[in-house]
Amino acid sequence: MSEFISKPGVKNLQRDGEKLITTHCSYCGMQCGMHIRVSERTGEIKGVEPRYDWPVTLGKLCPKGVTAYQQIDHPDRIKRPLIKKNGEFIESSWDEALSLIERKFTELQEKHGKDSLSVFGGVSMTNEKCYLVGKYARVALGTRFIDYNGRFCMSSAAGGFNQTFGLDRGSTLPWTELEHSDCFLIAGSNTAECHPTSIQMFWKARDKGAKMIVVDPRETPTARIADVHLDLKPGTDSALANGLLHLIIKEGYVDQEYVDERCNNYEELKASVEAFTPDHTASLTGVDKEKIIKAAHIFGQSPRSVVMFARGVEQQSKGVDNVTLYSALALLRGQIGKFASGVATFTGQGNGQGGREHGQKSDLLPGYRKLTDPEAVKYISKVWGIEPEEMPKPGVSAYEMFDEIHNGTIKAMHVICSNPAVSSPNVEYAWEAFKKLDFLVVNDFFLSETAEFADVVLPTTTWAEDEGTTTNLEGRVIRIRKAIEPLHESKPDWEIFGEIAKRLGKGKHFNYKNPREIFEEFRIATKGGKADYSGITYERIDKEDGVFWPCPSEDHPGTPTIFKDKFSTPDGKANLPAVAWKEPGEIPTKEFPLRLTTGRVVYHYLSGNQTRRIDFLMEQCPVPYAEMHPELASQYNMRDGEMIKLSTPRSSMELEVKLTKATRNDIVFVPYHWGKELSVNKLTNPSLDPISRMPEFKVCSAKIEKL
Amino acid sequence: MNKIMYLEFERCIGCRACQAACRECGDHDAKERNFVEHVDFMESRQTFPMMCMQCKDPACARVCPANAIQITEEGVVLSASDEKCIGCRNCTFGCPFGIPKFDFEENKMYKCDMCYDRSKHDIAPMCASVCPSDAIRFIDFDEMQSLRRRRTQMNLVEGKKPTEQDKWKYVPEFFGVYSD
Repeated sequence: MSEFISKPGVKNLQRDGEKLITTHCSYCGMQCGMHIRVSERTGEIKGVEPRYDWPVTLGKLCPKGVTAYQQIDHPDRIKRPLIKKNGEFIESSWDEALSLIERKFTELQEKHGKDSLSVFGGVSMTNEKCYLVGKYARVALGTRFIDYNGRFCMSSAAGGFNQTFGLDRGSTLPWTELEHSDCFLIAGSNTAECHPTSIQMFWKARDKGAKMIVVDPRETPTARIADVHLDLKPGTDSALANGLLHLIIKEGYVDQEYVDERCNNYEELKASVEAFTPDHTASLTGVDKEKIIKAAHIFGQSPRSVVMFARGVEQQSKGVDNVTLYSALALLRGQIGKFASGVATFTGQGNGQGGREHGQKSDLLPGYRKLTDPEAVKYISKVWGIEPEEMPKPGVSAYEMFDEIHNGTIKAMHVICSNPAVSSPNVEYAWEAFKKLDFLVVNDFFLSETAEFADVVLPTTTWAEDEGTTTNLEGRVIRIRKAIEPLHESKPDWEIFGEIAKRLGKGKHFNYKNPREIFEEFRIATKGGKADYSGITYERIDKEDGVFWPCPSEDHPGTPTIFKDKFSTPDGKANLPAVAWKEPGEIPTKEFPLRLTTGRVVYHYLSGNQTRRIDFLMEQCPVPYAEMHPELASQYNMRDGEMIKLSTPRSSMELEVKLTKATRNDIVFVPYHWGKELSVNKLTNPSLDPISRMPEFKVCSAKIEKL
Repeated sequence: MNKIMYLEFERCIGCRACQAACRECGDHDAKERNFVEHVDFMESRQTFPMMCMQCKDPACARVCPANAIQITEEGVVLSASDEKCIGCRNCTFGCPFGIPKFDFEENKMYKCDMCYDRSKHDIAPMCASVCPSDAIRFIDFDEMQSLRRRRTQMNLVEGKKPTEQDKWKYVPEFFGVYSD
């Protein structure tokens, strides 16, 4: 099959002696289409060519996407397995590293039981690998302690969607429809910086007159173009959503027929939002009353609207509540399951959607099956060739794994495709945990902050050195192609799992020659589950520009628009929430009078382990900064460019001040992409959501001092 | 080539993908030739891209004593040719838009050439290809004309009038190459 896919009439620049490999970007959930330029003679990576005919992103790329290929043949790549001896990493052979892992893992499990090992996964990798992480933990290691970095990213959206719709698919509509929508309510998302290529869809709709309501404490590049910018205090989303629901009901914008037919719990919702009058909402959120009313009228009057949200509302101790409330706005307007309308979350990680469906979560098995459901356990055990009794019980969430390390239950950890030494909240607690571990193995292609704590670092391939599928933020399953053979001595993660499993005597469960074989098993594993991939094949993905799950058979067209007739709850009806106002985990006090919020900049991706090594991106944004309003700065006699000390009850750090009026005057914003002393996550609050176990990155109380 | 570069400053999100992409163009020696700047970061996050206007009668070429800046038959004002450029920097002072940059190590100027290796085949330059918000576009002359008429057209659609917050007062600009 051809490695280069292009539609008739589309022109790409084909240079002499080069070939183009069609694939997608390695970074965020947009999974922008791109071609990678490869030298035909030497097989070296030469650069990137836009993929104009990818229907979602039309060749558009952000600066991370343009420079993504520079990771592949980067001088910082880990070339051979590293073993820490006397505090220093020594290059070693694969055999030596794997033997050490085998010995340590066996020793620890014999002494402390199966559950002394743990696996910390990630979702910036293909479905095939994500699926195998779950199988590796449960079959090869036999431990119940497995969780993944999506807990710091998507789990509130998953929890909220499961509660409301009975199924968690990030978007209820294909994003190619967005340009036909009339109104966007975007909450807690700076999409212009975090998913830049999505902004074209909003502009196309705006060109036709669509309205944008953006909920964000800062006037971000997204909020700048909004018709109404609701600049709320961080951590007050549930109040604002309740206030909007109050107005939608009071002003008669409810699609009564839709609600009666397709939703439960309407009367309870009505009663619970009763108190959220515009005055009350304005006093809780700090947003001007008139703006709330204006937003409600615009949203209520739009015939087709999309409610969208991202980490801003999800990374809170009431993230699930926020998601259910914002989803309720779409439900009351009768928008879900229809053309160019619905509800969507901006998935942060490349395969954040696919990766969370396939059993990396502590309580889930492939295809969104529940580990607590005996039928699901029986089915998956059969696919995996083990006895149902051998299947480990549910474990604990990502942050709680550090608790288990601190109290001595977990003795060893295998971190795969993740960098929790930067991305955890209260990160010093995680550092202590890593130091306390008897044995830490990290798979990565750059020496991340987490890998520096490791006893063994295994060099993995980058995304362009292996093939597979990912699922983008729409729920569209797409194909990643191999551009070059693995560099140096690196191996793809799935091969590493196989090697370790073999040494632990479980080799027969991991007999794969290539990712396609994993995909075939994975299709069977998801068959009949909620996230059913069984009808999807590599060939169909190429032919149909990706296939939307659920797709239960090969003649099934896939499901671009979901919930058309009914929801996935047992009774087929959506559950409306009834949520009372609750303060965030930490509120400003006399000692810590300000609110600190964290977020991303366009030049960096997640923990920055990849993007902090790319020259262009580092030239644009080399260090974190404290962004604040000049009015706030003047109260402390601070000037632009000065160094300040920012503290929260957990820790403190020094930062440069960046002033702009395009933000609230009572908050401090710091981007989080850096590690060690530059890590703002030393300061963030690990207050967890009771359902999704999502930490509250987005709000904590803080103070600033002039240095 | 009957395409033009079309800029809508209002749309710029300041991501600098155009600059990263500029470095990717085959003839650009990994040096960007375009600019993205904040209007005034203290006041707003509005940014705008700036690139060579491909003048019909370019000041940079006029002031070049070595005749190093060539203009193609389509009207693209190329970067100075390696052999001819004497490194006098007249062009960097002559250009009213401050476009030509100067490489002090190589002692020569470099500037936007509309990715001539691409645009001569009617393939969009790298900056216009990747711009996520369509702030930079490489489009047909006719499409550009219809885009200019859009504001009036929008006023005709009842209920879809631009709001006062829309910054439509910034008239979309176009420049580039148009020959017929």
